[in-house]
Amino acid sequence: MTSSHTRPLPIMNARSTDVLASVADDGRPLAFFDEMHQSFRLAAASAGTVDRFYRLGGYVVRLCFAGDALVPVLSAALSHMAAAAVEPDLTICIWDSASTGVRMPPTPWQQHYAVRGEVEGYNTDRVYTVYEHESRGLSMLDNGRNLAVLWVAEPEKIPYWVKGSPLRTILHWWMGGHGRQLVHSAAVGTGDGGVLITGKSGSGKSTTALACLESGMLYAGDDYVIVSTDPLPHAFSLYNTAKLVPQRVDTFPRLAAYIDNADRLEDEKALIFIKGTHAIHLSPGFPLKAVLVPRVNGKRDTIIRKASPAVSLAALAPSTIFAHPRGGEAEFRFLARLVKRLPAYVIECGTDLAQIPKAITDLLSGSNA
Amino acid sequence: MNADTRFRVNSPDVTHEIIDGEGVIINLVTGNYYSLQAEGAEIWSLLANSTAVGAVVEQMTHSYEGTHSTIRDSVLQLVSQLQQEQLIMVSDELRVPAAAQSPHRQTNGNRKRPFQAPVLHKFTDMQELLILDPIHEVDAAGWPHKKTS
Repeated sequence: MTSSHTRPLPIMNARSTDVLASVADDGRPLAFFDEMHQSFRLAAASAGTVDRFYRLGGYVVRLCFAGDALVPVLSAALSHMAAAAVEPDLTICIWDSASTGVRMPPTPWQQHYAVRGEVEGYNTDRVYTVYEHESRGLSMLDNGRNLAVLWVAEPEKIPYWVKGSPLRTILHWWMGGHGRQLVHSAAVGTGDGGVLITGKSGSGKSTTALACLESGMLYAGDDYVIVSTDPLPHAFSLYNTAKLVPQRVDTFPRLAAYIDNADRLEDEKALIFIKGTHAIHLSPGFPLKAVLVPRVNGKRDTIIRKASPAVSLAALAPSTIFAHPRGGEAEFRFLARLVKRLPAYVIECGTDLAQIPKAITDLLSGSNA
Repeated sequence: MNADTRFRVNSPDVTHEIIDGEGVIINLVTGNYYSLQAEGAEIWSLLANSTAVGAVVEQMTHSYEGTHSTIRDSVLQLVSQLQQEQLIMVSDELRVPAAAQSPHRQTNGNRKRPFQAPVLHKFTDMQELLILDPIHEVDAAGWPHKKTS
């Protein structure tokens, strides 16, 4: 028998993943990347450049903006990881047409997009190309030069959740080639190390992470963090943001004053930059000791119980893989290695939120082992 | 399908992992993912290793307490579901991995465990992340439409 856990949906007319598999670089993807980069240079010559440097996943990433229109939109979530201006490991060139007057070059492809926006024929071992439907823009990465380009038509069209987790596609691609993996998880910790809190949207990740933050625990992120497994599992902070459904805002009154989009909560989740509220608790990262899968139990008390590695893999892998263009086998293998090295637990979160950080702290200190 | 039919995992569209006797399987094309426990994960492992269906039944009968017909029917039903979900495909490969040659592998201890019919747990909640409509034409600006639910 088959048990279906959500409403069944028809299988769409999806294309096989092999259309995105490595293909010989016939020069067209690289040539178009160069056209995009040239357009960026024109925009930079017209509007000037603004550089920002960040240490992400242990690497120095330089954002080079043409003009300043996109700077506040794309840099606020990364600001806690600002670094000195040194030779970068990755440079991301960013421009928009509205403020610079420089259009994106005409696309040489027709309507060849896969379901996550990947442009077919323009994804090779070296060059990655995706239509960013949320921002109505285009992201490209040239792995050979550690150089990426992001174009958007209008900064105003970038939705709030992209402001909360900017440049995710490019960072996911590049980190994947450098021993790192963006994972769809929150991460909190103590001096003893930290835990990944993983599950799909609405599973309780943010509430759990923010309850920990409010208690004084270390906080590395509530939605996406960077993870490495070598030599030991480690979480790196990526975004200092938190997203809360508006009904949950009253639960965390100290955060309410820092909501970035307070005037749009009828349509949007509350976006909060933690750097403005709890900077002292923001952590650049910590060694990982466990993976926690949250469940809302509707009772008062919070309970942590042992789970199988397969439970944490099923919580971690699909939402990580499908949230990222070109996500697939490599990400799955990485995450399988990760869950084999970390004990898994289900945390049944109760209504008394103060119990959540205590349960996690006890777990990390070994007192409830 | 007959007793000699062998299957292979539908890669690269499908990726899978067995950890501590539990299986996680992801169809990267449809966005669906699946879990299998115990007997189901064991059957999956045998199938993924190109073990012929008849040998899978023999292996499970050797390892578990249950009638041959009950176990055979359960194996065939699971195989049918896995095919329907496009997770496995009939293999025409002649080479058979050594591990798949012997139908009687070591049982877990000396005592057989009662056979439980495997359940393929299916999850479809990731389809919402496969957002672009590959069917319809692009918009006036040349970009693809978002899929309508």
